[in-house]
Amino acid sequence: MIEALWHNIDYVACVVLFCIGLYAMIAKDNLIKKFIGLNIMETSVFAFIVALGVVEDGDAPIMGSGATPPFINPLPQSLILTGIVVAVSTTALALTLIIRIHKQCGTIEADELREME
Amino acid sequence: MSKLFDLLLLLLLISCALAVVRMKDLLAATIVFSSYSLIMCLLWLLRGAPDVAMTEAAVGAGVTTILFLLAISRTTRYERK
Amino acid sequence: MKRAAVIVFLVVVAIPLVLAMADLPPYGSPDSPAYTHVGSYYLEHGVEEAGAENIVTDVILNYRGFDTEGEVTVIFTAMAAVLAVLMVAGGGTAEARPLPTPPSVVVRFIVRVMAPLTLMFAAYVIMNGHITPGGGFQGGTVAGAVFIALTLVMTEHDVSHLIPHRPERVLQAAAPIVYCAVGLLGLTLFDVYLGYPRTEEMALLRTAMLVALEIGIGVGGATVIATIFRTMGSDQ
Repeated sequence: MIEALWHNIDYVACVVLFCIGLYAMIAKDNLIKKFIGLNIMETSVFAFIVALGVVEDGDAPIMGSGATPPFINPLPQSLILTGIVVAVSTTALALTLIIRIHKQCGTIEADELREME
Repeated sequence: MSKLFDLLLLLLLISCALAVVRMKDLLAATIVFSSYSLIMCLLWLLRGAPDVAMTEAAVGAGVTTILFLLAISRTTRYERK
Repeated sequence: MKRAAVIVFLVVVAIPLVLAMADLPPYGSPDSPAYTHVGSYYLEHGVEEAGAENIVTDVILNYRGFDTEGEVTVIFTAMAAVLAVLMVAGGGTAEARPLPTPPSVVVRFIVRVMAPLTLMFAAYVIMNGHITPGGGFQGGTVAGAVFIALTLVMTEHDVSHLIPHRPERVLQAAAPIVYCAVGLLGLTLFDVYLGYPRTEEMALLRTAMLVALEIGIGVGGATVIATIFRTMGSDQ
């Protein structure tokens, strides 16, 4: 099993990054720090899905002149393009809401916000 | 040899993520987050995904960092406790 | 105490995930199920069926075209939501605020020289999206970033002339509008919404539809990013 884990070390690194992002989301109080944790989780999932499509000694999937088979799987890359755009939209909206919360309540720490109501 | 380079990039990625989570100064955390995005873009170039790498470079260095800096300038800069 | 509980919880979550990673097919093998069924079909038949040499552009605009339509709607909705949250009545006016500390002469000069060249590069990336790596959204984000850089060196009032006021609402919705137009064109000509021609003599029409979609996504993406930045930055 250690052999299989050493061969798939890229996937294990993505799991470690996911757990770091999850720790930032749960254990930190500042809203912006929680949101940075969400972004780290999102990019770790993107890296995992792109790594699923890699073929050893493969070229990028562009059929110009001088491109030789085998090619790398193009399907995960297109899913991740849409995913990155959705991540940007979520970032913009979440930061807008944080600015609005600060204008309204004066603080962006989660425990102070909980005691405010 | 390229596997060694891959391992080095992955280690750098994990240490950048740990540094972002531990920092109290949010402005410094945003700059380290931008370098995290750059290393992720390099990793995708090595995996043979140029479209994804171009999108991540443009989005990570351009849009996400700027939006975080705007949000920090309108709210607090230091994380309490 | 809370920190220790969180770390124990994370270790409990991480162990099954790491064990599952050992059971996945080995990294880089060509026999994995993700590669043998659908991916290899797209690689073999992509160029003659869909007409673009960049297989990834093929997949996102032709084989999985509805997904890209959803993505374009998502980014437009995000911009509408940002405008709705920040621009409340009586919240503030978008007037020309001078910067608190003007940037140095070197930054101003470099940004003014590099801005037209970078816009030309963004236009090149958008137009050549179906031959080389690139595409609509990549070029659109670079153009939006040029707009943001120009805001740092000029006042707000001068920069607002770069996006003309009358067509501004149409430009923000450019991507969904162009997508619906090309989709209806496919519906009238080929009986399928977003249908592309498959024969060799209509190859010019197919390339024209792809390039029109790329330009729509590029212009729409750039305007949305510039609008989000201007809204978040100038409302006080």
